[in-house]
Amino acid sequence: MAAADKPLSDLLDDVALKILMIEPGDLSIVGELLELIEKLLPGGAAADTPVVIQQMAAAFKGVLEKLIMGELADSAENYDLLGQCVIEMQESARKEGRPGAEIIARFCANMKQIGFSLEPEALVGSVNAAVTAPGDTKDAAIIEEKSAVVQAQAPAASEPGQGAIPDFLQDTDLLAGFIEEAFDHLESIEVNVLELEQSPDDMDIINNIFRPFHTIKGVSGFLNLKTINRLAHATENLLDDVRNGKRPMDSAVIDIVLTVGDALKSMVAGIKDVLQNGPANYKDTDISGFLVSITQLQNEGDGAAPVEVVSVSAPDSPPEVSESEEDELLPDETVAAVVPDKPAFAKAVSGSGAASLRAPQSQATSAARTAADSGTKKIGASIKVDVEKLDALVNAVGELVIMQSLVRQNKLVSRIADAKLTKDFSQLTRITSELQRTAMSMRMVPIKQTFDKMIRLVRDLSKKSEKKVDLVMEGADTEIDRNMVESIYDPLVHMMRNSVDHGISTPAERVKFGKPETGTVFLRAYQKGGSMMIEIEDNGEGLNTQKIRKKAIERGLISEADSLSDFELNNLVFLPGFSTADKITDVSGRGVGMDVVKKAVEKLRGKVEVQSQPGKGSLFLIRLPLTLAIIDGIIVRVGSERYIIPTIAIQESVHPEPKNYSTVHGRGGNLMVRGELVPIIKLYEKFGVSSTYTDPCEAIVVVVENEGRRRALMVDELLGKEEVVIKNLGGIDVPGVAGGTILGDGRVGLILDLAGVIADNTD
Amino acid sequence: MDAASAAQNTGQGTELAGKYLTFSLGNEGYGVGILSVREIIGVMEITAVPHTPDYIKGVINLRGKVIPVLDLRLKFNMEHKDYDERTCVIVVEVQGQTSPVQVGMVVDSVSEVLNVSAGEIEPPPSLGSSSETENILGMAKVKGEVKILLDVNRVVGEGLLQHLQS
Repeated sequence: MAAADKPLSDLLDDVALKILMIEPGDLSIVGELLELIEKLLPGGAAADTPVVIQQMAAAFKGVLEKLIMGELADSAENYDLLGQCVIEMQESARKEGRPGAEIIARFCANMKQIGFSLEPEALVGSVNAAVTAPGDTKDAAIIEEKSAVVQAQAPAASEPGQGAIPDFLQDTDLLAGFIEEAFDHLESIEVNVLELEQSPDDMDIINNIFRPFHTIKGVSGFLNLKTINRLAHATENLLDDVRNGKRPMDSAVIDIVLTVGDALKSMVAGIKDVLQNGPANYKDTDISGFLVSITQLQNEGDGAAPVEVVSVSAPDSPPEVSESEEDELLPDETVAAVVPDKPAFAKAVSGSGAASLRAPQSQATSAARTAADSGTKKIGASIKVDVEKLDALVNAVGELVIMQSLVRQNKLVSRIADAKLTKDFSQLTRITSELQRTAMSMRMVPIKQTFDKMIRLVRDLSKKSEKKVDLVMEGADTEIDRNMVESIYDPLVHMMRNSVDHGISTPAERVKFGKPETGTVFLRAYQKGGSMMIEIEDNGEGLNTQKIRKKAIERGLISEADSLSDFELNNLVFLPGFSTADKITDVSGRGVGMDVVKKAVEKLRGKVEVQSQPGKGSLFLIRLPLTLAIIDGIIVRVGSERYIIPTIAIQESVHPEPKNYSTVHGRGGNLMVRGELVPIIKLYEKFGVSSTYTDPCEAIVVVVENEGRRRALMVDELLGKEEVVIKNLGGIDVPGVAGGTILGDGRVGLILDLAGVIADNTD
Repeated sequence: MDAASAAQNTGQGTELAGKYLTFSLGNEGYGVGILSVREIIGVMEITAVPHTPDYIKGVINLRGKVIPVLDLRLKFNMEHKDYDERTCVIVVEVQGQTSPVQVGMVVDSVSEVLNVSAGEIEPPPSLGSSSETENILGMAKVKGEVKILLDVNRVVGEGLLQHLQS
């Protein structure tokens, strides 16, 4: 990760950004935040961090951990306060690690308000304390931090060969395979869990969840990924209880399985990081919180008295999770880990952390056996292929198809009147087109994968905000370029969040406005006009254009005199200056980070816009280019050039009659098409080629529609319809041309980008 | 290419020594570093791309890959010459914005591969404006002939990139 080389200020900026993005209940972001903060800790990636900031980061991390463990309230106020703390850290960084007492005091005050006691001396004094051994600083929080760190590292020093540097790096190939596999498994777990919510008693689904956990457990044990192994194992045990009817499948179990899934995901991501950037990035994740909750759930199911966390007294010595017992979870000992007595808590945590660092040899071998059963099953289901190889294959197949038609059209060959040859040729055609289809499909993946993640998101968001939201997905099988899947995920999440959080109001309010209690968010994907479209539509409140206008004037984005259409006004929310507005909620809740979304979409050379009707809802439209996708196109001829017009955009083609054709000042012709005046765009003029016809009434026009605008493109001739693969022009990028494709005769044809053709013309 | 760019910085002939593919434009002999040359093909039909400078002739299909082709004569503001059976397209690979890109260069004819030693290379002449010589790595005198050694990355790469940015 590039973040490793980032200077301190950039890291803090990242932290600040993450804090902004955070939503109560979204622990995955807290996890990401934790990762960032850890870079600031002693021994973290940002090596030159001043000691004071390291201490601040340590306290900050403490808070985050408590948030994750649920000891501190996961509330918006706390995140705001954390935001303040980051600002103070930033200030300290600007002062080169010598913040005044005032900043320190503010930082501590904010920390205290969150519920994390911290004395200024702890920070200032730490400058010395950090140099000497972890001394007896009075503050429990600091002790907790330090002892956790120190104790976790201790075994590393005492047991050479098995310590903090992960020993699972021996077989990186296996590990890489595991990472890939684990992500797939975790994905399937999530989907299945959500399905389970609909039908909690379906044993098949429970089995479908159980199995991936089992596999992860097995393989991770085999690879010596102990933390992952333990967590997966515990969860598997819980699910086993469910399977055996020991406890019902209820929302508590579902929730824990989902959160464990998230935690495992981030752990696997951490391993991936280690694999890519070296063992220095390794850090162990604290899973004791999960283990406790799981044990608790299991105990409930066993009919035992619910474990009262508070009532369990803290053992004086840190519990040793002994090596032989590693495979079996010991409920009592782990429960002790959450006893709110801080020193004991710290010891317990670090104790288990230390234990997990030690490699129980016997366990590893036994896990190896499990891995052998469960691991081999998956191998062969899919393989990873270098994208370049895939591209080469697609190109080669494309050439094959072209060569085949060239051979077939060869004058000598086509003169042969032989039934066998004809039959063989058509057989060959079938094979090659099948080959082409397969090759092509390898690069594309359905957007379903990404959409499925939204189910979870909407579920969580609506639950948290106590709104009733239905998510309706359409076109999940629309195929999207593999490379685009990852980049589109973040903007999509952001917009979904906006729609649920701000677009849809609470059931009570909705009823008041005469709407059904349950709001609906539509998520659609389809291809249009050579673009991939993703729509996020909600039937919520829509944007308040008046307020947007006011805000935009305030921010100096528009002037009082500007007259803008509602559409233009709404789209102001994508301006960077707009979304930094302090009271976002004033503007109907929209605009948070919308410029971020816009940037991300534009990076994919796409576009995003919003249409909204006050009181009825809003529609966010993401338009992405189909860089590598196939499009259906009509091939037209203009002079000696051939262009491809995306079929979806075409409404009709007509031979204009003189009575329907009119000009303005002898220029800029219009054509009357079914009672509507459509401006004519003369492609030969536009592209500077010489054409057969210059009079529209002799030529043919193709009426196209793009983003609500109709235009008549004047061409010489229609040559046919073909499915073509968009290829980029090898570095040339011009307006009006979306890309090139290889036509049946092996020459390159240009694919029109109608938005460009039309936009350019109106300028 | 590494050798070529290094030479740009130091101006030493030693780094420029090596094998060059030579070709002609009119009466002039040119050379490009052999390491950047991917292949040489005959001229095929070129699809014109609108809104591009004259010297970008368009795009061709190189075995399923679409690559831009530029006419070196036009690029160097030399007189246009109709393509004939000796006209060739030299496909070179240069560093694009993100990944290497292949670009075709139309030349009058391809001559041979020459081994140019350090002693045979002289710095580029000053032609008054630097923009005309910045494409040139140096001048090689081999077998009594002068070959102009081109910096392919500048001729092709930046030519395209500059166009894109405008």
